[in-house]
Amino acid sequence: MSLNIVVLVKSVPDPKSPVNISPEGKLDLRNIKYVVNPGDKYAVEAALQLREKYGGRVIGLSLGLPGLADVYREVLAMGVDEFIYISDPLARDYDTLQTSYIISNGLGKIREKYGEINLILSGVEASDTNSGQVPIQLGELLDIPSIFYVDRILEVKRDSVIVKRIIEDGYMIIEAKIPAILAIADTSYEPRIPSLRDVISARRKSIISWSLNEIMREKLFEAGVRLAYVKPVEIKRKRKIIFEEDVDKALDKFFEELRRDNVSLGG
Amino acid sequence: MPWDFEFTKEQEELRLTIREFAEKYIAPRIIEFEEKRRIPDDIIDGLAKLDVFGVVFPEKYGGLNLDPITAGVILEEIVRADLTFSLAVAYLVHTSWGYIASKYGGEEFNEEIITKAAKGRLWIGIATTEPHAGSDVAAIRTEAKRDGQYYVLNGEKAYISGIREAREQFPDGGGHLTLAYTNKELKHRGMTFFYVPMRSPGITYRLEKEFGRKGWSFGSFSMENVRVPEHYRIGDEGRGFYIAMEGFDHARAYIALACAVGSKRALEIASEYIKQRTAFGQPIAKFQGVQFQLAENWARAEAAYNLAYKALWAIKKEMEGKISRFEVSKYAAAAKYFAVETAKAVIDDAMRWMGAYAYTEENPVALAMKAVKSYDWAEGALEIMQLIIAREVLGKEFIK
Repeated sequence: MSLNIVVLVKSVPDPKSPVNISPEGKLDLRNIKYVVNPGDKYAVEAALQLREKYGGRVIGLSLGLPGLADVYREVLAMGVDEFIYISDPLARDYDTLQTSYIISNGLGKIREKYGEINLILSGVEASDTNSGQVPIQLGELLDIPSIFYVDRILEVKRDSVIVKRIIEDGYMIIEAKIPAILAIADTSYEPRIPSLRDVISARRKSIISWSLNEIMREKLFEAGVRLAYVKPVEIKRKRKIIFEEDVDKALDKFFEELRRDNVSLGG
Repeated sequence: MPWDFEFTKEQEELRLTIREFAEKYIAPRIIEFEEKRRIPDDIIDGLAKLDVFGVVFPEKYGGLNLDPITAGVILEEIVRADLTFSLAVAYLVHTSWGYIASKYGGEEFNEEIITKAAKGRLWIGIATTEPHAGSDVAAIRTEAKRDGQYYVLNGEKAYISGIREAREQFPDGGGHLTLAYTNKELKHRGMTFFYVPMRSPGITYRLEKEFGRKGWSFGSFSMENVRVPEHYRIGDEGRGFYIAMEGFDHARAYIALACAVGSKRALEIASEYIKQRTAFGQPIAKFQGVQFQLAENWARAEAAYNLAYKALWAIKKEMEGKISRFEVSKYAAAAKYFAVETAKAVIDDAMRWMGAYAYTEENPVALAMKAVKSYDWAEGALEIMQLIIAREVLGKEFIK
């Protein structure tokens, strides 16, 4: 068996670089450095391990702002065979349903070009928008199973996949028909770090860029959700030192202080 | 000639891959390096898998054939994560002297040794110093006598890095480029370089309890009738001294960069501290006395960093045949001299701002302070660096 796997990768503002918020409540992303969404690397790792086990091909797919192609070299260095990048100046303005719709069209074009897709892998959510909706919406749009919080892909059969899925109090084993979309959790597929040689070789791989016009069958619908404004939380810090020899008494005083400040202690 | 302080995209991508590994696997464990006096095997193995031990070696022998500036970018990330400098020593000694070995070693040597060195299966070090001969290299006593297809070495080398690692830690061992007289009467024109495996019969060694950078061993070894095959001779007979000087230039440039980056990192750590720590009702960083020190140290560290890259750039240009060896020696000496003096001063101030908090064996800034002291002498004393600079600026006739 040989698998055609597509792994969805998003470019996000580097979680380590500060984002400014304008007085009008808009994010200022002008001088931001973009990186591969950290959670997506677990999906890339899962895809690569499947390829190592079953053979086949791993194709990366992303929708992002023009000029960010180089960001995806990191996943090529990890070992992804090809990378397709839907380059769109409005990429950051779409709501999740629009994004899912565009990606579903991209997947359609991949199918035309490379044949049937067996599995679509993604991270659980992007570190910038944290919506976690795209994998589920894609499942609906493509009318295929979508499984969220996949810890491990246990087996791929001819027409199904068996996965271990994380739930609140444990896990469940699910068998689903393929093609399916699996949102991989950041639990067991620790992403590999590419070697220097892999990084150098990845520079020789090409990143295929598609425009929206090339992939869309129909005109894109209007956004249902839009970002109204962003308001930073104001954090007031204060410091108080409790002098008390007995630890229990110190803790009592500590909680008393918290209650006085109306800090919610849960429970 | 372009004048550009930017790294290439490829260099930045290579940096990221090392940074990812270094932040995740190296930085959290540096105290362990010091306490166990050893770099854990899995870190050596991880770096080997990332191709870190083959950066500048020829592609033909499994290396990546990258230039010294790119090798510097990788060193930066190693130092940032490991302020004990143990991994910096491991990397920069192997990179400099392994390159020299590959350049002057013959086909047979490269096939046998460099291919393993490039994969990180074997470590290459340097052994010129002897108990009575350090900066005065011509005073060495080790001798090598030809015996058919072999050379037989006798002598003692002191204050040598990486003996234990080359004997037992790397899967295929390793060895040191060892300077010996093949003809004592010719003085420095009678010296020859040999690759001497540390597992060779006839080698005995003793390790020191070093003051800092304890993760990489440091000690002496003596050779009693150690036989090395002819193809382990690095360069022609009588060329050893000159080849050693070339290798020192490489190592000095990397040392300069390590010290500059160590200074910058120490300043970052100390700056974070003085922004948080309050005294007399305000963060220490708000006191101008501290700000002036910070400004001076930042400027010095940045100058040292740029001078170090200038030296690596000079090596690159020399490899391309565009500038002379003497120019390289001048920049490498200047970079090492300035960066080591800078590092000692900058890190000392950084420790001072952090007060008692810095005075422990678990504070990376304190560990860096101990480490950079080794560069007062390692790969050439600072006074020798000054002599080299003076010689190149004034002319040989002004040097005794």
